[in-house]
Amino acid sequence: MTEEVSSVLDLMTTKRPDSKLRLQVVNKIGEHKPYNCYQCIKCTSGCPAMKMLEIKPHEIVGLVRLGFVEDVINSGIIWACAMCLKCKERCPQEVAPVDLILALRNLAIEREVKVPESHLQSVSMILETGFVQKPMETVTRKLEKVNRDKLGLPKFREASEKFKSVFMKALEGA
Amino acid sequence: MKVAVYWGCVIPTIQYAYELSVREVLPKLGVELVDLNDVSCCGVPLRSVNTFASLYLAARNLAIVEKTGLNDLLVLCNGCHLSFSEALHFLKNDTKLRQKIDALLVDEGLQLKGSLQIWHLVDLLHDSIKKEVIKKSVKKPLNGLKFASQYGCHIIRPSRLGRVDDPENPRKLDELIEWLGAKTVEYPEKLDCCGALLLLSHPDAALTFAGLKMKAIQNLEVDGLIDACPSCHMMFDMRQKSSGATVGAKLNLPVLYYTQLLGIAMGIEEEKLGLHLNRSPVDELLQKTR
Repeated sequence: MTEEVSSVLDLMTTKRPDSKLRLQVVNKIGEHKPYNCYQCIKCTSGCPAMKMLEIKPHEIVGLVRLGFVEDVINSGIIWACAMCLKCKERCPQEVAPVDLILALRNLAIEREVKVPESHLQSVSMILETGFVQKPMETVTRKLEKVNRDKLGLPKFREASEKFKSVFMKALEGA
Repeated sequence: MKVAVYWGCVIPTIQYAYELSVREVLPKLGVELVDLNDVSCCGVPLRSVNTFASLYLAARNLAIVEKTGLNDLLVLCNGCHLSFSEALHFLKNDTKLRQKIDALLVDEGLQLKGSLQIWHLVDLLHDSIKKEVIKKSVKKPLNGLKFASQYGCHIIRPSRLGRVDDPENPRKLDELIEWLGAKTVEYPEKLDCCGALLLLSHPDAALTFAGLKMKAIQNLEVDGLIDACPSCHMMFDMRQKSSGATVGAKLNLPVLYYTQLLGIAMGIEEEKLGLHLNRSPVDELLQKTR
């Protein structure tokens, strides 16, 4: 399925689908291609984030299938997924809407669309220490301050310098 | 049984109660834990940002474990467990990806064979240590207590990858609780997500997920909620107050890691199990077990 839908036109916005961009997204996911979706809506009916944030996985799959990728990315709705994986588990066509959402998030970042900042912060923390956060001080229920050392836990081991340089390469897609 | 243990990011930086109780309980069941050098984040926090880099992180950690010569890897966090299982699946089915990742691993003198047996706490205890050994370790049976269980999404789905328990009707954690003498309950919200992964983008929705689930569990009149995932635990234990405030409920639900509950039944001192670190109101429950 490549070019045959390029003649589709959204009559509300007069937008045309972008099959190149669609291919870019689809190439990012494994075996669970969106083409097999027949809009049974099983994903959306079991989606916990739909109840609160009105994300509709079947619509995201439908829009990508037609080639309206940019609209989905720009809407920001892809950041409302809780990653519970129920849609992937239950899809009778093995479509995995969650994988598509992850691919769209990757693409949003590549295209520098506005994304939740905190998602990017973890990258710099991993570069610094190998992990998304450093060991923190915490308090007991009696409000006594404790840390790993005080609790008798072994020293936290950060990743090596060599790791950081290889990780940089991985971020660039090697 | 000698296993390499991968703690991930969340457990060794803030969820000390899980680490303390695992280190206390498992050796008493004959599991020798081997800590790893130079491991890093499992890759999950990068899935939304850069899937390739995320898979590389997973593959790298697995290659480091393989280098130790150990065959079994214990992964205590649900997210890390999914990341490793997914990476192995992708690398098996995508030669091009495999070649790119292998090339990066070589830079650090690493190589991935994909031969490891990956365990989570729940299936290691349930399927490998097994009922008889666990029952034998119990010195103070938890008779008369009733608990709800929280599996966490990522160890039960997607089943196609081979997960720890059934995706729609998980029972292993419930059985583990029952082997200690306590009862468990089935409840309609059992499979509901804790909301942790929405914290970054939609914190109020995340707290609503957790709050609504705890409200439902509290109505079951159980003695507590038992989990085995640091992300779920952060929502239900650490953020119980704010979750309750978000959904307008007064929550008073003790939340314990399974290893803490097991430790109590084994008769281990409370502080050694990190039970002074739980933020949820566990004191009343602890009183009942003394």
